[in-house]
Amino acid sequence: MKMLFAEVPAPKLDLRKKLWLINWPFIALIVAIALVGAAALYSVAGGSLDPWASRQIVRFCFGLALLFAVAFSDIRWWLRAAFPLYLVALVLMILVPLIGVESGGATRWLGYGEFSFQPSEMMKMALVLALARYYQWLPPEKIWRPDALVPPALMIGLPTLLALAQPDLGTAMLFAVIGGGLMFLAGVSYFYFAAGIAAVIVALPHAWEALHDYQRERILTFIDPERDPLGSGYHILQSKIAIGSGGLTGKGFMQGTQAQLNFLPEKHTDFIFTMFAEEMGFIGAVGLLALYLLALLFITYMALRCRSIFARLVAAGMGLTLFTYVFINVAMVTGLVPVVGVPLPLVSYGGTSMLTMIVGLGFVLNAHVNRRVVFRPEETRTLW
Amino acid sequence: MRKKPPLDYGGKKKPDYARRQRYRFSRRALLVGAGQAGLFGLLGWRLHQLQILDSSEYRLLSDENRMTVQLVAPARGSIYDRFGAVIAENKENLRLLVLPAFCKSLPGTLNSLSKIVPISAATRDRVLRAARRQSGYYPVLVAEGLSWRQFALLNILAPQIPGMRTDRSGYRHYNHARPMSHVVGYVGMAGKAEVDLAPVMRLPGFRTGITGVEKSFDKELRGSPGTIKYEVDVHGRVVRELGSKPSTRGRDLVLTIDHHLQTVALDRIKEHRVASVVLMDVATGGILAMASTPAFDPNLIAFNPDPEQWKELAKARDHPLHNRAIRGQYPPGSTFKVVTALAGLSAGVIDSEETMRCPGVYALGRARFRCWKAHGPGINTHEAIKQSCDVYFYETAKRTGIEHLAATARELGMGRTYDCGLQGEKPGLIPDTAWKRAALFQPWYPGETVIAGIGQGFVLATPLQLAVMVSRVATGRAVLPKLVMSANDPIDSFPQLNFDPAYLEIVRNGMFGVVNEPHGTAGRSALKIPGVQMCGKTGTSQVVSSRYAHKLKGWEAKTHALFIAFAPAHAPRYAAACVVEHGGGGSHAAAPVVRDVMTEALLRDPAGRPAFVANNEGAAPGALAVIGSAR
Repeated sequence: MKMLFAEVPAPKLDLRKKLWLINWPFIALIVAIALVGAAALYSVAGGSLDPWASRQIVRFCFGLALLFAVAFSDIRWWLRAAFPLYLVALVLMILVPLIGVESGGATRWLGYGEFSFQPSEMMKMALVLALARYYQWLPPEKIWRPDALVPPALMIGLPTLLALAQPDLGTAMLFAVIGGGLMFLAGVSYFYFAAGIAAVIVALPHAWEALHDYQRERILTFIDPERDPLGSGYHILQSKIAIGSGGLTGKGFMQGTQAQLNFLPEKHTDFIFTMFAEEMGFIGAVGLLALYLLALLFITYMALRCRSIFARLVAAGMGLTLFTYVFINVAMVTGLVPVVGVPLPLVSYGGTSMLTMIVGLGFVLNAHVNRRVVFRPEETRTLW
Repeated sequence: MRKKPPLDYGGKKKPDYARRQRYRFSRRALLVGAGQAGLFGLLGWRLHQLQILDSSEYRLLSDENRMTVQLVAPARGSIYDRFGAVIAENKENLRLLVLPAFCKSLPGTLNSLSKIVPISAATRDRVLRAARRQSGYYPVLVAEGLSWRQFALLNILAPQIPGMRTDRSGYRHYNHARPMSHVVGYVGMAGKAEVDLAPVMRLPGFRTGITGVEKSFDKELRGSPGTIKYEVDVHGRVVRELGSKPSTRGRDLVLTIDHHLQTVALDRIKEHRVASVVLMDVATGGILAMASTPAFDPNLIAFNPDPEQWKELAKARDHPLHNRAIRGQYPPGSTFKVVTALAGLSAGVIDSEETMRCPGVYALGRARFRCWKAHGPGINTHEAIKQSCDVYFYETAKRTGIEHLAATARELGMGRTYDCGLQGEKPGLIPDTAWKRAALFQPWYPGETVIAGIGQGFVLATPLQLAVMVSRVATGRAVLPKLVMSANDPIDSFPQLNFDPAYLEIVRNGMFGVVNEPHGTAGRSALKIPGVQMCGKTGTSQVVSSRYAHKLKGWEAKTHALFIAFAPAHAPRYAAACVVEHGGGGSHAAAPVVRDVMTEALLRDPAGRPAFVANNEGAAPGALAVIGSAR
């Protein structure tokens, strides 16, 4: 064991070595999930590549190039870039309420003309990098100290509050879950988590007061969807009917009545899992979940093999993001949690979420490629 | 600060915090991984609950609420001629469809339907195949053109036959079908590539333009589809209509064609086996008549085509589907001498007063080029055009050179397409040295310049190009042909051509002589309207070099007959070109056709009368939207 972790200088990696070190089965798994997504989009369009499947495939190919670019980049570069990136993302998020574009009662986009983008997507990546960077810098013996909790709490709290102000409950929850998860993995004491959970329980009634009406409505209809089947409960009810009517083997590819007859809302984005479960049945749905679970196991395995805490936390953090997305999306369409508008990674139609996720997976692979790299203390001391 | 763990000295060891942190990470990562797997298990349990335990309940609910959204095909815009006569319109079409998803069994449904409407084995096959290929919620067409009796019977029986639908859609009907056939074209089922572009094409029996104006202006004519939302029960019976968005009718088109002149033109050329004639308004470029024989009846193709008949039409030896006026490329023969004369004059290599002697043969090196007649001495430009003396133009072409000759031809609008709304326009060919090197990898020979001077050799032109050329000579402006009237058309004033008006006048005088002076080649085809004269030029072009002429027999060995003309002589308003394939001499076969069509045009004077304006206000936004979305 001692030999294994002996601190020898990290080997210089050239591209050929990196090609050898990268986790090819994991990439094959990502491609498989994306192909399932393309097939689902093909079916949603009534058996046509237009308008969704073809564009999604093009975006995925573009994303794959990006994934390789991130995976083969130098991990030291990202170590240096982590804090500046976070700062840029934070500034952009602050700019959103000031100069952002409003759509559907929420201001989430920064845009100029044709081009628009969501700073909160960038923040998802930046938050993971920045927290990992922080714990790489923090001497491990100080991790128990309460004052060591202040910077990460601020780093998580600011974007969470900004997301709540947009208002975007789903993203805010995502920041909190990923941030909390990373602090847990970094080794923060259980005691603090127990205290945090207690505080949330105390704060919950006050938070309820602060919620927007539509957010309260969502939670209420979640608790009892039949309350108003043609109003806000409609989505959940129709989604449950679609999934349930799929049965064990499903209605067959392109034969889903709920989806093809336009009963499903957002069937090509947030509710694509519903359509998939309706057409492919229990077997197909569990198969897709198994693919995701396999990907998560891969990520955990890759995180465990890394030597630096930065690489470990980056890999694990991206894994947490993937997990949170998949879980919230599937739980949402099956009626386990309220509808919060979270896409199914790599499958739902949409450019921004697809790119965010695939860049995140690129970071996982980057950590894996650089699994033997350790950082000298002087590399972590500066802010960039 | 993290310290390196002491490796080789004794004493009390400082705890290795970094290692502890790594172990702690490993423990917690496994814990988180287990938690994730557990939560996925929760999802699996939920799916199990929904899809296995409660599945039958949800299936019932799903069957209860089925809703179909059907696209409603837009009505296709009508096509009018310049005076508002309807050329293409929509008529009611009673149809029978099935929705495979709602049939208990598709073959069973077809069996019950066949008791009322005869369903052939081929149709049956097609329906079953279509049902397999596409989603079961797209209706499949079974039969169309039903009688009222069948339609009523089917509607009465509808509750007993699940998955059956009837509807009333339109089909395309063409008036003045044969004369207008090549110009208007016809509609048909969309090809696969097009179906992928627009979902409306998937509607059963939806027709899209295949050729002619129907194809070129398909987007404008098509309109945009509407939708109807139905709630249906488990058997596919409509419970109620939930709402609809009406379709927008396509834009109406007004052609520049006068259907009466068109009919006259086709009737006039019918006596020939293959011929075409184009009549243009030289001021606006509007095509007044464009007839090509053999013609066809688009009504036989656009609706319920008989496969046998179609095959016969497509494979016929004289290709009736081809519009000869734009697709026929012929050596222009002596009609090209108009171009050669203008080229020689504008290059300054000939003088209109200079006379030459025509011994009936022209020598260039060791080669001999013959004239159709020994014209003797005293041939100047005017006489050469009038009598169509080959020798004069051999010499002119030699002096001018192929580059300037080709440039002049292009200035007169030859060797290109005009994209005026017809499908499959051919560009013809105006050869020059660069072209020959690129296409044949050979140098240009002087002898080729000589024969190009009389429109033989490589030179090719379509009747439409010849009509444009003569319009440009007549007006001195860069006339471009036009087939569709547009409401906000500016009064077309084409730019002046780059020729000295005096030279154009010399050429026009020569063309005047062709028809109206003694010894003119088309003297017999002078107009019989008092006080109105026509200017023209005959052409008789060889199909093959005389060396190989013996290999062809009968009709195919005969020369093409051509004639180009404009009238009235001193205030040109109409221009015409006619080509009779293997018709013999231009003065015998082609000139009389042009004379008769021109006479009709002058007496009717379509260009002088106000044109019809279609009422498109209501339809225009829809049509625009379609164009916009297609981008």
